[in-house]
Amino acid sequence: MVLFSSPLEQFEVTSFLNVNLTLLGLNFALTNLGLYALLVLMLSISVHVLAANDRRLVPSRWSVGLESAYASLHGMVKEQVGSSNERYLPFIYALFFFVILANLAGNVPYSFTISTSAVLSIGLSFTIFFAVTVLGLHKHGLHFFAFFVPAGTPLAMVPLLVLIELISYLARAFSLGVRLFANMVAGHTLLKILSGMLWPILTSGLLMFVVALIPMSIFLALVGLEVAVSVIQAYVFVVLTCVYLRDAIDLH
Amino acid sequence: MPQLLPFYFVNQLSFAVLVLGTLVYVFGTYVLPVFVQLFVTRMYVTKL
Repeated sequence: MVLFSSPLEQFEVTSFLNVNLTLLGLNFALTNLGLYALLVLMLSISVHVLAANDRRLVPSRWSVGLESAYASLHGMVKEQVGSSNERYLPFIYALFFFVILANLAGNVPYSFTISTSAVLSIGLSFTIFFAVTVLGLHKHGLHFFAFFVPAGTPLAMVPLLVLIELISYLARAFSLGVRLFANMVAGHTLLKILSGMLWPILTSGLLMFVVALIPMSIFLALVGLEVAVSVIQAYVFVVLTCVYLRDAIDLH
Repeated sequence: MPQLLPFYFVNQLSFAVLVLGTLVYVFGTYVLPVFVQLFVTRMYVTKL
């Protein structure tokens, strides 16, 4: 008998360790998500320690990769947010490495992908949205609301356009997180379903093994696609964060 | 979907904020200034 578990089972957040603090009425639990979040933290720092290269001017193989990443993200911040706003680079840099390593660590079989947690992804995008809105209000005061009225709008159209712009602005908070979460969940679910179908075929005789090599090659291509999606989604998340920052700093 | 079961929501967000906050601090304090120094030094070596 072949047992098929649900393809969504891999996204369950389970507790490894519970610490109840009855005094404060709090419960601290180390979940699989918490463990992988800490793993991502350690991976990010380890990669940078490994590639530190003792501050030598001539780069090593490791440091070339990180210097390129730094140069790309620095260029992105300068281009999108503005040359005078490089103070946001540490946040963008940290966000990029957090998302990309979270996505890539999840591609290891039997591991947990923290960006497949709806609460984490959408919570992150809501936090960014909230911060960007506060930044816009702090920088421009009430003039920030001019963002919702595009230049050259006829007066009669203003109420309608304000409504449309407001909805599209509020949708950003949701869409940024959903984009990351949905892409990761869809990819991992697809791989789980396909591998669940392929394994019984591969193990049911020599002829079926040979026949199953064709879908197996497609499956391997999809694994490669999933790795590419992990990188692309991290890039898209960071680019859109830069765009939202720019919109808050320079209103239209 | 298991993601929508309301267990550990605050726990998940706490871990995300903790990790991201630590990364921003570590990168902003120790990593990015080194990159800037390195790039400036290279510019001095090659252009001046």
